[in-house]
Amino acid sequence: MKPASAPVRTGDDSGRASVAPESDEVLMARFCEGQAPAFDALFQRHSRQVRGYLTRLTGSASTAEDLVQLTFMSLVRSRGRFLAGSRFKPWLYAIATNAARDFQRRGRRPEELTPEGELPTSIADESPGPRDVGLERAVRQALDALPEGQRIPILLHRFEGMGFAEIADTLGLTESAVKVRAHRGYLRLRELLAPLRTETLE
Amino acid sequence: MTPECSRVMDHLGEALPPDLAAHVARCQECQVVTGGFDFISGPSPAPTALVSASAPDDEDDEDTLPGQFDARRFALETLAKQPKARPWWHGLVLLVGVHAATVGVGLMLLSRDFWVGNAARSSLVVGVAVLILALLGAGAYIALSPHRRVVPWVAVLATSGALGLTVVLTGSGQQGRAFLAGLVGCMGTELAVTVVPLAVTLVLLSRSAFHPVRALAAGLSAGAASLLVLHLHCPDGTASHLLWGHVVPWLGLGGIAVLLRSRLPTSSHAP
Repeated sequence: MKPASAPVRTGDDSGRASVAPESDEVLMARFCEGQAPAFDALFQRHSRQVRGYLTRLTGSASTAEDLVQLTFMSLVRSRGRFLAGSRFKPWLYAIATNAARDFQRRGRRPEELTPEGELPTSIADESPGPRDVGLERAVRQALDALPEGQRIPILLHRFEGMGFAEIADTLGLTESAVKVRAHRGYLRLRELLAPLRTETLE
Repeated sequence: MTPECSRVMDHLGEALPPDLAAHVARCQECQVVTGGFDFISGPSPAPTALVSASAPDDEDDEDTLPGQFDARRFALETLAKQPKARPWWHGLVLLVGVHAATVGVGLMLLSRDFWVGNAARSSLVVGVAVLILALLGAGAYIALSPHRRVVPWVAVLATSGALGLTVVLTGSGQQGRAFLAGLVGCMGTELAVTVVPLAVTLVLLSRSAFHPVRALAAGLSAGAASLLVLHLHCPDGTASHLLWGHVVPWLGLGGIAVLLRSRLPTSSHAP
């Protein structure tokens, strides 16, 4: 089992189970048939996780909020592109990833640039929480230092709790290609975090 | 990465079976990977302060999530306009229809006395025309298909290069107008014939996430409509004319499609 402290989530939100007990794929099929409540159920079930993923990916909660809207609007507009028999969660995360890539490709909003006009690699926490903020920041910076091809598989695997087959489905790659990228990413992360690990052990 | 390493990846965060635990004990890379995985398990790398900034909304109202009203309103408006989802292949049928109509209209407008001006052997003319048609259809399919696994760059470039080479090598060798006049005429015709298919292609492409290979395939497919018109109509069959007047502008149209699509807004980020 994955450690309890890890923010790993599955596609199901137990708190919402009574609202929409059907599978995501059934809900999506209903939505494609024109049933709005199916969309509500999908939004309730996935929007928090997608927002968390996009926050990790972009380093900004406000950007993530906008991108969640874009993700679900894309879902509505392109519901005819969802293939019957395919899995919903990888499709949704593919939309979210594409939205974030498009956002980064087109450039960020002016208020999110540094005074020098550069892209921030991460946003500093304003209020320290109960966690070790320094450690969190170091991990975040190490993740930011990874190339996108390694970072996204690790975010999806470690923090969204997705299997490699689902990640491959999300990214349009083979499962072995995703494993190799994640493998290299974990190796690089360990290397980047080695000094911090030594400190922690001491 | 050995098969055992791959299995270790599958079991990250879980209790390893004895054989894999023994492998990890021997494999330095797997030790580092499992260490890297475990090390980032404690702290959340998400900017927690920023995530929690919008969290009070969630706690205030368990049933309504941030942004749900906007998303729901949009969903309802969309459903009111079009209750049932239109399958993705409607776009493909539309695009192929536009390409076919363009070829028909182009040939009608250009052909006063004759439909086929290509003086090469009729079997070659038909064979190359079929190849161009096949690329037209395949390019449109690659461009609009919702499958996430995209054809690699190399395959698209190699296929289009092979078709271009075929067009050049199967020319009749017959010279029509002067080289420059023929070049300008055919390049102009190719661009003019491609305007409508390319415009429709770009509109349809902007309804899904930007992907350069898809845009390239779409541009080559749109350009294939005019390449086919020229292939059938143009009586000039010299290799240099076919290369510079037919094939190079066609390949250029593929590049233009990628450039234009990258600058157009995306209405949906779905794959």
